Amino acid sequence: MMLEDPTHTDLHAVVDEVWSTFLGHEEPLLPALPGDADTTMAWSAATSVSGAWNGVVTVEIPDGVAHTATMRMLGLEPAEQISNEDVADAVGELVNMIGGNVKSLVPGPSALSLPLVARGTIALPSDLTEVARLDLTWAGSPLRVTVLARRDALGPALERGTNHRESA
Amino acid sequence: MKILVVDDSRVMRQIVIRTLRQAGHGGHDIVEAQDGKEALDLVRSQSPDLILSDWNMPEMNGIDVLTSLRASGCQVVFGFVTSEGSEEMRARATQAGAAFLIAKPFTPEAFGEALAGIGV
Repeated sequence: MMLEDPTHTDLHAVVDEVWSTFLGHEEPLLPALPGDADTTMAWSAATSVSGAWNGVVTVEIPDGVAHTATMRMLGLEPAEQISNEDVADAVGELVNMIGGNVKSLVPGPSALSLPLVARGTIALPSDLTEVARLDLTWAGSPLRVTVLARRDALGPALERGTNHRESA
Repeated sequence: MKILVVDDSRVMRQIVIRTLRQAGHGGHDIVEAQDGKEALDLVRSQSPDLILSDWNMPEMNGIDVLTSLRASGCQVVFGFVTSEGSEEMRARATQAGAAFLIAKPFTPEAFGEALAGIGV
């Protein structure tokens, strides 16, 4: 990790603010529980920062967290139906907010990409180095937020053309 | 008052509209656009009094919408609602003619203050 990278504490503060503002204060974000690592992260989202600092922010969450977050963000009642498109939209907006706030913490100027959302895992370029990672639990389910930095700064950390808000 | 809410995320447009209501601004006529290009079309056809726009969008981003509006002589009140709230982005927004920038995640109080600042 380099001085210019966001710290674990910075990332925790950003994620806490996003979660408490839009998903409610009832269930706080807690440290990951033993066994959480075995949970399948059904949804992944990523956004890249390109410019004076280059890197990627990712959010990985299981189906239950994605579904509950979408319901809360849309202000729906538990019995109401949501589509995969709604979930992809909500998960993309979560990584967009976290990524935008991370962008404000690192040296600029830089540009934030549109979010990429996948049902499953997003394969990231191998030249990225993990600089901060949060393994948390929310409402009994795990979630992971990671910041990865690119040191050589040869180009956008997520290639242009793949960074659309869509289910992959 | 007619308010144009511009964001490529339907979820975020819903949150913005709900937050306006929570801030005591539920009585306004709301129009929605999912990108900057649609926003420009709706400005012409709907003549909104206020635009609340995301910055980072496909087709045409928010700063290009604002620049295009001002270049065409349109002086509609324009505010950003964006995840990018750094001083650099706020300076760019002000320089382009935005009245305010609300950073995501936001509270009803942030909306109330921003709208009070433009006399709404």
